[in-house]
Amino acid sequence: MMPMLDCDAVMRQLWDFLDDELTPDRMEAIRAHLAMCERCHPHAEFERAFLAAVAKARREPADPSGLAARVRAALAAEGFAPA
Amino acid sequence: MNAPARDDARFEREALRWLPDVSRYALSLTRDNGEADDLVQDTFLIAYENWNQYVPGSQCRAWLFTICRNHFYRTRNRAERQVAADAPELEALAAAAIHASAKADGLGDAFERAEVMQAIEQAIAELPQPFRDAAILVDLHDHTYDTASAVLGVPIGTVRSRLFRARRLLQEKLLAYARDAGIAVHKTGFDTRGPAP
Repeated sequence: MMPMLDCDAVMRQLWDFLDDELTPDRMEAIRAHLAMCERCHPHAEFERAFLAAVAKARREPADPSGLAARVRAALAAEGFAPA
Repeated sequence: MNAPARDDARFEREALRWLPDVSRYALSLTRDNGEADDLVQDTFLIAYENWNQYVPGSQCRAWLFTICRNHFYRTRNRAERQVAADAPELEALAAAAIHASAKADGLGDAFERAEVMQAIEQAIAELPQPFRDAAILVDLHDHTYDTASAVLGVPIGTVRSRLFRARRLLQEKLLAYARDAGIAVHKTGFDTRGPAP
C-alpha cells in the first residue's frame, strides 16, 4: 500500500522528486500527493519552472564541428589512429 | 618492458562520443568560447594519455567531466574552497518560503519571464564555486546525484546539500533582480512598472 505523505514530508523531498532521485514507490506517493494538494502543487510548479529556466541557460559551443576536427588533429599528433 | 598499447578504437567509441557534452560543460565552466575550446582539447589529450587507467565499462562521461573540471581549476589556480551548507531538507523547506514570498510580491511566474531568464547565466556564474559546480553538473548538464558525486569526488549527500543551496541562492538572487527591475505582475495582469514615459 502506498504510504500517505503530509505536506511537510513532500516539501522536504521535493527537489529529489523533481530530479527523479527517489524510489519508484516514493515518487508515486509524492506524485499522488501533488495531484490533490492545493498547497503543494503550485509550489512544485514554481520549482519546475525554475529548473526549466535554469536548464535553458546552458550555452551551445559556437563551432562544434571545427572543435571536433581540432581535437582529432591534436590527438593524431599524439599518435591517435583508430582502425 | 613496453607499455601496453592504447586501444584507439575503444577511445574513439567510448570517449570521443562525449565530445559534444564535454564541449558544453567546458563552456559552462569558462563562459568563453576560445577558452572552452582549449579546455576541451586539453581534456581529450589528458584522457588519451591516461586511457590505460580508464576502467572499461565505467562511466566514461563522468570520467571526462572530472578531467575537464580538474584541469580547469588546476590551470587557473582556483583551489576548491570548503563551504558549509545546511541539511538538504532544510534547504528544500527554505525554497517553499521563497515561493511564498515571491507570490506575495506578484512574482509567482518570475522564472517564466524573459527578463529573469536572461539573468540566470550571470547568477550561476556568481555562485560560490562548490555550489556552482553542483548546479552546473545537475541542472545544466543532466547529471544524476550519483555521477555528479563521481565528478566532484564528494559523497552524494554533499552533492545534494550543495545543489539545494545553489538553487536557493539562485532563486534569491533572481527574485531580488526581478524586484529591483520592477518585474511584478499582480493578479489583475497589470504590469506594476506603470506607463512608459
